[in-house]
Amino acid sequence: MPVSSIVKLEKLVGKRLRRREDPRLITGTATYVEDVKLPNLHHAVIVRSPHGAANIRSIDISKAQALPGVLAVYIGKDIVGVGTVPCGADLPGLRRPAHHILAQDRVYLVGHPVAVVVATDRYIAADGADLVEVDYDVLQAVTDPEKALAPGAPSVHPEWPDNIAFTFHQNGGDIDAAFAEAEVVVKQRITSQRLVPNAMETRGVVADWKSNDRSLTLHTSTQIPHLARTLLAGMLGIEENRFRLIAPEVGGGFGSKLNVYAEEALMGWISMQLGLPVKWIESRRENFMVTIHGRGHVDYLEIAAKRDGTILGLKLKLIQDLGAYHQLLTPAIPTLSVLMMPGLYNFRNIQAEIIGTFTNCVPTDAYRGAGRPEATHGIERMVDILAAELNMDPAEIRFKNFVRPEQFPFPTATGLNYDSGDYANTFQKALDTIDYQGLRTQQAEARAAGRFMGIGISTYGEICAMGPSVATPAGGWESATVKFEPSGKVTVLTGTSPHGQGQETTFAQLTADELGVPIDDIVVLHGDTSIVQYGIGTFGSRNTAVGGAALFYALQDMKEKVKKFGAAMLKTDEVIFEDGHCLDPKTGASVTVQQIAGAAYRGIVIPKGMDPGLVVTKFWEPPNFTYPFGAHIIVSEVDPETGQIEIKRYVAVDDIGNQLNPLLVDGQLHGGAAQGLGQALWEQGVYDDNGQLVTGEFMDYTMPRARMMPWIESSHTCTPSPVNPLGVKGVGEAGTIGSTPAMVNSVVDALSPLGVRHIDMPMTPEKIWKIVNGSKA
Amino acid sequence: MKIAGTAKLPFTPERAYALMQDPLILAKAIPGCDALDKTGDDEYRLKMKMVLASLSGSFEGKVRLTAPDPPNSFRMLVEGSGKIGFMKGEGLIKITAAPDAGVDITYEGDAQIGGTMAAVGNRMIDMTARMLIKRFFEKLASEPA
Repeated sequence: MPVSSIVKLEKLVGKRLRRREDPRLITGTATYVEDVKLPNLHHAVIVRSPHGAANIRSIDISKAQALPGVLAVYIGKDIVGVGTVPCGADLPGLRRPAHHILAQDRVYLVGHPVAVVVATDRYIAADGADLVEVDYDVLQAVTDPEKALAPGAPSVHPEWPDNIAFTFHQNGGDIDAAFAEAEVVVKQRITSQRLVPNAMETRGVVADWKSNDRSLTLHTSTQIPHLARTLLAGMLGIEENRFRLIAPEVGGGFGSKLNVYAEEALMGWISMQLGLPVKWIESRRENFMVTIHGRGHVDYLEIAAKRDGTILGLKLKLIQDLGAYHQLLTPAIPTLSVLMMPGLYNFRNIQAEIIGTFTNCVPTDAYRGAGRPEATHGIERMVDILAAELNMDPAEIRFKNFVRPEQFPFPTATGLNYDSGDYANTFQKALDTIDYQGLRTQQAEARAAGRFMGIGISTYGEICAMGPSVATPAGGWESATVKFEPSGKVTVLTGTSPHGQGQETTFAQLTADELGVPIDDIVVLHGDTSIVQYGIGTFGSRNTAVGGAALFYALQDMKEKVKKFGAAMLKTDEVIFEDGHCLDPKTGASVTVQQIAGAAYRGIVIPKGMDPGLVVTKFWEPPNFTYPFGAHIIVSEVDPETGQIEIKRYVAVDDIGNQLNPLLVDGQLHGGAAQGLGQALWEQGVYDDNGQLVTGEFMDYTMPRARMMPWIESSHTCTPSPVNPLGVKGVGEAGTIGSTPAMVNSVVDALSPLGVRHIDMPMTPEKIWKIVNGSKA
Repeated sequence: MKIAGTAKLPFTPERAYALMQDPLILAKAIPGCDALDKTGDDEYRLKMKMVLASLSGSFEGKVRLTAPDPPNSFRMLVEGSGKIGFMKGEGLIKITAAPDAGVDITYEGDAQIGGTMAAVGNRMIDMTARMLIKRFFEKLASEPA
């Protein structure tokens, strides 16, 4: 073998590489569900209930059936043998309403699917849908979870007149002793309003049944291709290996596509009925109405403390607005809030009660942060309220109560085991960055001048890298396959389903570094159940921390394989693998991985005990969650004449462990902060008492826009996670979790000279103006 | 949604009351009304066009006039549904002789909208309802005394 000169390759992990996905995303050449066109494609439009609660007296589909171009009209009684929409969450005593894919004899929310019209084009289908006549006997709806719990409230499901889907208790330590010992107790009702996730791409499904093969191909905009396939196969009664589910480009999910929806099963069923491909694309108004909402909390919080600021314990009564049904994880989301309730603080006594409440609204479920933003908002508000009560500085009270570095791993009152951290260090960095003492001086001057300037702190922790399988409904591991092609090119198949998170780039960076191949030789594939081995999908900041770890281990196995082939080719026992070469240290002879790949497939030199080919698949089970943390500080000023809030500065210091690509980390933090500030300042999903969603379009639902965003001064501390070999923790939700309480604390601080102690979100100019000007909100 | 307000009509109470019970007159005065056909005692089938914010569509429904107390008051119930949703309103209409001339009308009731109209037109519904009522009475006022 010739002795080659080995060129050191530049390491790519940790570099700010631009996403390889971007060219297709920004030139409009990416393929979304709406772009999928099949021969003889038919189109479906769904007739939905305009009432929050009603009995269906009759449905007349004759006029719709008679419309030229309409192929079929189906109603609830036609859907025989199709399973109900699944809920993967299991809680003791959970009441599970049967969630049929078309309403049977009653509708439970505005938007409830009542009939579906299939036609040769979408416009004819829409005209047909207008011709379906439904006679409703309208019933009284209930949309506010506290009103739903009141005696005499209308029943969402008549079989459960109290509207309670479940109650759940989680206690830790000795709460009675903590409150007995307390020198001060503060109480506050804190809400976390319904939010509409508003992915840029609405949902959509194309179903294509081939009766001769008994096989179904379903294109759907989902975060969980394999789990969705398993669950939909069960609903439709077909075998998983005859069911190909493809998540093409997915234009945002934020948890709203971590689900299995009625329309996915419905389109599969229709295609099987008609033997034709069928497409349904959700309109924006439907997206507001029937895709899950996030949050929906009313929390009653009590905190017990000593006069020196030491927190002793926390009581929480959490009323969760579940909506009319359970979607995939609906009842589980508030349990995540309870887990995260202690925040970063060193107290061991907690008493939490969740009352899961049915309302005539669309179900709530996972939305960016899923339970943790609500918890962080609650505890961070309470700590500020306690500080105000004790006349302490909000920074000082946090330092006093942080879990200390020597306490890790730290078992919390709610049964978690925090992996690592130095909370005081990260917080101090944020305070130094923003010049906290200087700001307090400025604030005193501003107040003397009659201005309303506020400084809001949030120090958050969160649960990422979901998660160990025991803690998840459907497995918490992840999978990766690494394949050398005979040419030496590398194909990576990940069981995660990235949709904007950029793993086609970061996983290629990792692969390039580990295997010593050029990044352009690497392709990362995902989202097609016929191409990729089973995987769990994308949610809970798990892509890199679990999927990346699975890939890392697959790459280690691949390196071992490559070394064995390399040694056989070099006719030696031991080789060193580096920079894409196997090197015999005794002779200096080497072969490249590309040569090795060719030889492995050619099959002439097969090492003893090995098979030809170079393919490795690894499934990896994480031993724990990861626990990122950070400190966000927002300086704001309120204009008393308009109620407008101006964000003067936003400093974020996040500890997310190691970073594969800091550019993508920035992107996640900025997007997360936009959604968190959206909740704090503008967004709210509002139902009227009759069950009408009155914020049903962008004219009535204020989305954050680029011009409304502050400059975010972002920096990091780094305590690598001991849970996975990459030392990463996850960053998908950090911005959303950290930003919201920082914003609210800032405005409450600004208005505290007026005696303001708490403001419920969103802090719209109207609400702020009313507070400042003394009228009741 | 609460609806309440006042209007003036240049008629005697008897004439004002009679006009508001006459389907032909009502059909002319209700903005967007295409047809108002008598279907029973004090009950009419209504077809009307409605424009609300970015929405427009036709409604079919019924109008009922109840609790007659000529020439002082009656109740009116309007309900309809169409492609853009549904609406339902009920109220009491009172007629009193004005001190100067004509009559003062006061109305008070509840209205409800649903479907796409509620999701999309909610910001506009208050103003739209007030405008429609104003037009109704203006049109009525142009009838001969």
